[in-house]
Amino acid sequence: MALIKVVMAKMGFDAHYRGAMMVARHLVQRGMEVVYIGNRLPEEIVRTVIDEDAQVLGLSSLSGNHMVMVPRILVLLQQEGAERVKVLLGGVVPTEDQKELLRQGVSAVFGTGSSLDAIADWIEAAVGHGPDAIQV
Amino acid sequence: MSSQTENALGGSLSQDYRTTSGIPVKAFYTPADVAGLDAVQDLGLPGQPPYTRGVHRDMYRGRLWTIRQLAGFGTPEETNGRFRMLLDQGATGINCVFDFVTNRGFSSDHPLAEGDVGQGGVAIDCLDDMRRLFDGIPIEDVSVSLVLSNPVGAGAIFAAFLAMAQERGIPWDKLRGTLQNDFLMETVVLTAPNILEPAFSLKLSVDVVEFCTEHLPQWNPISFAGYNYREAGADAVQEAALVIAHAVAVAEEMVRRGHPIDSFAPRLSSFFTADNDLFEEVAKYRAARRVYHRLFQERFKPQDPRSSRLRFHVQTSGSALTAQQPLNNVTRAAYHALAAVLGGAQSLHVSAYDEALCLPSEAAALTALRTQQVLVHETGVTRTADPLAGSYYVEQLTNEVEQRILAYLKQMDDLGGLVRAVESGWVHRELMGTSYDRELATTSGERKVVGVNCFTDDVPLEIELFRFPSALEQQRATLERLRAERDKGQTEAALERLRQAVLADENTMPHLVAAVRAGASVGECCDVFRALHGGWHQPLL
Repeated sequence: MALIKVVMAKMGFDAHYRGAMMVARHLVQRGMEVVYIGNRLPEEIVRTVIDEDAQVLGLSSLSGNHMVMVPRILVLLQQEGAERVKVLLGGVVPTEDQKELLRQGVSAVFGTGSSLDAIADWIEAAVGHGPDAIQV
Repeated sequence: MSSQTENALGGSLSQDYRTTSGIPVKAFYTPADVAGLDAVQDLGLPGQPPYTRGVHRDMYRGRLWTIRQLAGFGTPEETNGRFRMLLDQGATGINCVFDFVTNRGFSSDHPLAEGDVGQGGVAIDCLDDMRRLFDGIPIEDVSVSLVLSNPVGAGAIFAAFLAMAQERGIPWDKLRGTLQNDFLMETVVLTAPNILEPAFSLKLSVDVVEFCTEHLPQWNPISFAGYNYREAGADAVQEAALVIAHAVAVAEEMVRRGHPIDSFAPRLSSFFTADNDLFEEVAKYRAARRVYHRLFQERFKPQDPRSSRLRFHVQTSGSALTAQQPLNNVTRAAYHALAAVLGGAQSLHVSAYDEALCLPSEAAALTALRTQQVLVHETGVTRTADPLAGSYYVEQLTNEVEQRILAYLKQMDDLGGLVRAVESGWVHRELMGTSYDRELATTSGERKVVGVNCFTDDVPLEIELFRFPSALEQQRATLERLRAERDKGQTEAALERLRQAVLADENTMPHLVAAVRAGASVGECCDVFRALHGGWHQPLL
């Protein structure tokens, strides 16, 4: 059975990577494959998701650039026909922003204080334990 | 109610209790626990070696800590407004934070920067921005901390500050303040596109130290950012050990460049967090001062007593704050601030209660300032120096933290020193490991966080979030104007001289001041560094 594959990225210049690395490390512990690509532009992030054939994209925002970057990523995923990819957003995300981004197509938001297991559980439930389980 | 009480006690008294960094704690302490402690050699008096008890004899009676609340968001004008508000309300120093784009020395119109301009700090692109940032602020009277974390950009932005001061007729030797200028921030703590090689990043930071030693005798040219090492995952022992290892690395480089230790060491400064574990934090400050003093005495043999005194600013922990039940953060930050003061801090920022949700609103920033004022004027903690001295527990914990700091320093020495430890990825792995263990302890509920994994609310409390317009359009316009108005030949010549200085391994600071005056943007100056010494990959995974 193939592993769940997750691409993790920081957007733009957002420099705090600890949260993203903690999640990445935990997902690996939970048996997933994680590709961490660091600070990137929306186009590069979506390109990696497609090239890696990932089922999940994890985005981390602490600086507050998510309202500029995330909508652009969602549109690009749609243009690439990859809207089935689950987009998770973590970090410091105000409630209003969460609502708006969930409306636009983010699958789930995990703010500060979220448990690592809760994130991993959510992914397993949403994606299943392999690519065959994906509902296209 | 009864189930919540049981939760709060967290288990039986026979349980193995430890501090946050893993030091075992007994149910009580007796004189036997500190039997080996020599009150003269190991403690001394406040203001006397080994400075365990603080760097000043009369401590806060003689000089209160500087109330230095962090501020910075959006455009230079917006941040200038926040500075004025804080000074009007009783702050005694400026503490300016810059956005990531500025901190990393990129121009605001860089393609990656679109969502980050003015986020998390003020955007500064050139000399003209610096003029507006400090418009009407008496920088000849108020000490100014510029939180320029990364050596790649610290020099260029500081150069703009110096050029601005000169235009206002303020001699550089009258300026008081601090730069962060910490190569670990650039290579370990934070991430960015196109990172400088660790050894070159350290070189740039020492350029500033060298320049300030010659021209700005009242300026602290570097602040070893233990606070940020901690936020990136370190525990209290690792935080203090990395600060001290960093200070040693800078001092060694300055000595190698031919500067006597006493010409610069008195102005090296440090920056610590104040986190949840109150007594361990106090022990950390006390132990760090003792280790720092002894190590500097042993390695550099200074004559000036100030050369081996560890002075530090404290910022109360950001990562200990929670998005859930945000008003609890007022209480947390007050305990953190108390730890800093009991530990003898020289300067303090209290974090705002909304920081796990957004940049501090004016109301939250003001509450943080008031927290300091309550501490100063209502609690009586300023009356006497080092009030916890002689506590069996605190003295034993100070000894234990000291031993662990020394062991950690030895490990780094064995790896070939701090720069090698960074290059090899050892420091990254250490911080990530500690951080991950702590996250797991939170996830499992072993580590209790009120409002997060216990005493949670069904209906979340909403607070009003701070919003401000994007600074991107204004910064783009500023850059366009700069490029249109400057003498292109002069700018290019100045940048070429900067490039030659890097190639010849000269001090870059005079060339940065010249380049900024000649109309170079911060981004253009830093591109020179990146072109020659960029492209380093952080060994993260």
